[in-house]
Amino acid sequence: MLATTPPARAQTQGAASAPASWKEMMAVFLARQIRDTDRICSGAHTEISFAATMLAQKMHAPNLKLQLGGGAFLCNVADVEVDELPRTSVDYRIMAWAEAYFEHHDTFNHYGPPGGRGYYNDPAAWGGTNKYFFADKFFVGGVQVDRHGNVNLIGVGEGGRFRFRGPGSVGINDVTTVRDVFVFMTAHDRQRLVPEADYVSMPGPKTYRAKDLMGNGPQFIVTPRCVFDFHGPDQTAALVGLFPGHTEEEVAEHTGWELVKSPNFVTLAEPSPAELETLRTAIDRKGVLRS
Amino acid sequence: MTRQAPLLQAGPVELPDGRPPRRDVVTSAAEVASRVEDGAAVAIGGFVTANHPMPLVRELIRQGKKDLTVIGSATAGLEIDLLVGAGVVRKLIAPYCGAELYAPVGNCFRAMAESGQVELWECSEYILYAGLQAQAMGQEFFAWRGGVGSSIPELNKDLKVFPSPLGDGKEYLAVPAIPVDWAFLHVGAADRYGNGQHPGARFGDRIMARAADRIALTTERIVPNSEIRKNPLMTSVPYADAVVEAPYGSHPYASHGFYAEDAEHIQRYVAATAGLRKGDRSGLDTYLQTYVTGPADHEAYLVVVGRDRLGALEAEYAHLTHDRGVTG
Repeated sequence: MLATTPPARAQTQGAASAPASWKEMMAVFLARQIRDTDRICSGAHTEISFAATMLAQKMHAPNLKLQLGGGAFLCNVADVEVDELPRTSVDYRIMAWAEAYFEHHDTFNHYGPPGGRGYYNDPAAWGGTNKYFFADKFFVGGVQVDRHGNVNLIGVGEGGRFRFRGPGSVGINDVTTVRDVFVFMTAHDRQRLVPEADYVSMPGPKTYRAKDLMGNGPQFIVTPRCVFDFHGPDQTAALVGLFPGHTEEEVAEHTGWELVKSPNFVTLAEPSPAELETLRTAIDRKGVLRS
Repeated sequence: MTRQAPLLQAGPVELPDGRPPRRDVVTSAAEVASRVEDGAAVAIGGFVTANHPMPLVRELIRQGKKDLTVIGSATAGLEIDLLVGAGVVRKLIAPYCGAELYAPVGNCFRAMAESGQVELWECSEYILYAGLQAQAMGQEFFAWRGGVGSSIPELNKDLKVFPSPLGDGKEYLAVPAIPVDWAFLHVGAADRYGNGQHPGARFGDRIMARAADRIALTTERIVPNSEIRKNPLMTSVPYADAVVEAPYGSHPYASHGFYAEDAEHIQRYVAATAGLRKGDRSGLDTYLQTYVTGPADHEAYLVVVGRDRLGALEAEYAHLTHDRGVTG
C-alpha cells in the first residue's frame, strides 16, 4: 500500500517557503513508503534515494536499519547533525554517520531473510527477529524501464553494441531476495519509459515469478510525474498515483506504452511544510534537490 | 603428471650466509609497474571516490602498459575511466564506471565502450565478487542467482546458466574464477614487511587481495613493525609483495582517515574528458600531460597539485570527522 499523506506527527510543524521541486517531491514520496521497522540498503548513490532514507529516519522511522553506500553500514542519522547530502556512496560524511563498517562483499551475506520466502507471505511473523538482513525495500535507477518493469542500466543499443553506454548494472540484479523494489526514473519521457528495454539489468516482476526468484522484484516505478504499479498475469505497469500538478493526459503523452489506470489509484498529497522543512534544514542544506 | 612427495630434510638447514633477514618489500611505484607485463590482469582497489592507489595507476600510464585486463571495484570510479582513456586497457571487468553525483557515467569509459575500443566483461557487483571468491578459494566457479533473467549472461559468454542440481528447477549462473595477476590497493599505514592497515572502510579490497597472485600497496605512511603489532586486528592486508610510501596517494580521491576528495579537481577531470565522445581528445591529452605523463613521479605530481590544496582537503576531512569525535 502506498502512503499518500505524511504521518500525523509531521503535519503540525512550521512552514517552508518555496514549493517543492520534483526531486524533493520524489524524495518525500519515497520517505513516506518507509516503515520504522524496515531494513533497507540504499546502495549506489543518488541524491533522491539517499535523501528519502535519511528523511524517514529523521521524521518517522528512527529505527530504520540503513546501509548507505558501499562502506558504511547501519547508518543512523535520526539524532545526528547532517551538513549536506553525500556526494558519492563513499562520501566521508557517511562514514562519520555510521555505527558500523562492513566490507562491501560481506554486505551480500545479509540478503537472506529469516524464513526465506515465508517472510514475504507473513512479515509480521518475523517482525521480532533479531537477525539483520536487507529484505524490505530497495531503490534502483535506470537508463530505461519498460512496461513490464525491466530496468536497464547497461545502455541503449542491440547485440552488445551501444549507441549510449550506461553506467553498468551495479548490484541491482544481485538483490534477488529483497521484497519490494522501487524503480525511480529522474526523467519521464518516451526515450526512458519504453515498451521493451534494450538490455535488462534487473528483470521485472513477471520474470521474477517465472524464474522463481525469492523477492517480488520491481513493485513501483516512480517518476517526476507519477507512480506506476503492476497488474495482471504479465505484470504490466499501471498508473497508481499522480504527483500534484500532473495529469493523466500528460503522463500518457510522455510514456512509451499505452496508459492504463491501476485499480489502486490514489491522489498523492504534496509534501507537508514539516516534511519540506526537515528535508531542507536538516538534510539537504545545500539545496542539491532544488538545483 | 606424477605427483611426487618432497625430499626430506634429514639434517639441520645449512646457512652458509647466516639466517636470511625478513624481506623488506618497500619499493617505488615505478619499480612495481615495471614488474607488470603487458596483457596482465590488474585489480584496482578503493570505491568510487575513495582509497585508490593513484601513484600506481598513473605509473601504468606513464610506462605505456598495453592490453591490460583491469578489474575495477564493485563501484569503479574515475581512476578506471582514466586508465581506459589513456589506452592501457583492453578488457574491463567492472559492474559500474563513473563517479555518481560528479559524473553518472565516466566519459572515457562511455566513449570507448560506444566505439568498441574496450572489451567489456558485463557483470554485476556480486558476479564480480563471486569470480574473485572462486579465484581466492581455488574453485573453478561459484554459483549465483543474481543475473538470472537479466541480459548479463547474453552479453558475457563466460557466464553459463545452469539448472540447480538439487532438482527444484531453479536457474543459476556459473561465474568462473577471475584470475588476478596484481592487486593495487591504497591503505593508511603499512610496515616494511608488507603488513597493511586500513584506518577506515575497506570496501572490496580484501577480496581483491585474496584473489591476486601479487599485491602492491600505496600507503599514506610507513610505520615501524611495532606499530602494526599494537593492534593486529587492524591489519587488513598482511601479505603485500610491495609497499610504496605515498602520502596523499589517493588524490584526487579521498583517503578515509586522512583527507577529503578534491571535488574541484574531479570536476575539472570530468570537464576535460567531456569531448571524447565526439572524438575530441584534447582535454584528456592536456590532463594526462599536466597530471600523469608530465610529472616524473608522485612527488612531482603533488607539487603540481600544490601543498595548500592538499592541506585544505585534510582540514575539510578533519572538520567533518575528528571535530565531532569520529575517526576513520
